[in-house]
Amino acid sequence: MTTTASRTPEPASFRDPEARVVYSPEGDVLRELSPRAQQDWAALESTRFFRRALEDGRIVATEEISPGLLRHERVPFVSYPYEWPFEMLREAALLQLGLLDEALADGFVLKDGSPYNVQWHGSEPVFVDVGSFERLRDGEPWAGYRQFCTLFLYPLLLQAYRGITPQAWLRGSLEGIEPSQARALLPRFRRGVLTHVILHDRLEAKHAGRTGDVRAELKASGFRKELIQANVRRLRKLVGRLRPRRGRSTWAGYREAAPYSDEDAQRKERFVREAGHARLAWDLGANDGRFARAVNADNVVAVDGDERVVGELFAALRGEGSRTILPLVVDLADPSPGRGWRGVERRRLEERGRPDLVLCLALVHHLAIGRNVPFAELVRWLRGLDSRLVIEFAGRDDPMVQRLLAAKRAETHEDYGRDQFERALRGAFELERQEELSAGTRTLYLARPRV
Amino acid sequence: MTPFAYLDPGSGSLLLQIILGGVAAIGVTAKMGWRRLLRTLRIRRDDDDS
Repeated sequence: MTTTASRTPEPASFRDPEARVVYSPEGDVLRELSPRAQQDWAALESTRFFRRALEDGRIVATEEISPGLLRHERVPFVSYPYEWPFEMLREAALLQLGLLDEALADGFVLKDGSPYNVQWHGSEPVFVDVGSFERLRDGEPWAGYRQFCTLFLYPLLLQAYRGITPQAWLRGSLEGIEPSQARALLPRFRRGVLTHVILHDRLEAKHAGRTGDVRAELKASGFRKELIQANVRRLRKLVGRLRPRRGRSTWAGYREAAPYSDEDAQRKERFVREAGHARLAWDLGANDGRFARAVNADNVVAVDGDERVVGELFAALRGEGSRTILPLVVDLADPSPGRGWRGVERRRLEERGRPDLVLCLALVHHLAIGRNVPFAELVRWLRGLDSRLVIEFAGRDDPMVQRLLAAKRAETHEDYGRDQFERALRGAFELERQEELSAGTRTLYLARPRV
Repeated sequence: MTPFAYLDPGSGSLLLQIILGGVAAIGVTAKMGWRRLLRTLRIRRDDDDS
């Protein structure tokens, strides 16, 4: 037990004052309930749907450690919707709708509809905001419907109907896509657009600022939960049918086209395995996840900048039932920054749990040549992660490097070479081991940060 | 009436939920239309919610 004063508040948990998340000095995730939330919790705890969802892991493991204080299981790595490919956003939406449907049957409702309430055990979504469930009051609609549209439905429709990936939008606006914006963006005659988008926007424009009156009117007119249930079921059907539309991708099928042999890939796998055990590994430029699967780690965050590649990796991992590898869409030349109130509500990628092993395979040349990141800058960033490092370097004679160089003016990357790279690496890391690949055009290093 | 927890659900979004309620919504829509009609004819006052 900790005293209230010694607990640290979670910076993202201030919007709902009824159930705030705090951390104990030992790092436990706790939730402090207001008297009203405590009543909701007492009722919730005994419902069938809640027990079932706790048991099958759809709701984060939760126990009441003292009256009004809950303890939640910690998820291995926190991620945000703007880092999820289409498939993950859809999966999270379906989890949310499924839980809401079951909750309604037991007399509960969700007070919001936010993807930030979903986290992941590898490829399995888990609903983490137990405080979102409250007893359904007579005549009350689902308060989270609008939020569900702006943060789940419209982003999914944008990619399904227009082929525009919504990550940049979601990262740019934590409130998502407004109905008026969605109306301007989406085609009129596709499933779901007329009601959830066009009508939504028209009603919103017409009845702005009348929420209080409208609620009273709905209640007086006999609004009841069957209406929410009908809406939720329609939404489940709509979302479940959506498929991602995607343009060309440079990286999908990259391994088949990559200039290294299967023998090299096997040697890389062995090298990665022999790097030893890690609690949390980051695989940067994970592509199809071959090395994320090979690494000996309790949990792996598999990062790639290509939305299609990450979507396909997620689908494969989901098929395998992986609970350890979390695939995320992140451009390493522009990783997720701090967002929201004071820039701390949604944390920078690097501030959400440090790795103790980082894989950086077939990546250096893409950042150094493709994105003009100098070796010294790259090494400084990696050193900042303060973890062991497996890193691959491809020399100037490597076919992929030649392809990248061919697109640039010759003198721009004159200093791209193995000696320069090793010098930069040795400045911040001790090299423990190295191995040649591809008849000497590529080298693997195992490195440890210098203290 | 108890206020919504912490999120402004949006008045338009609330009204839309009637339309999205399918068959179950018919009764609610009819009652709402009736109430609005009475109000327009000044048979019932705006704040009369009984």
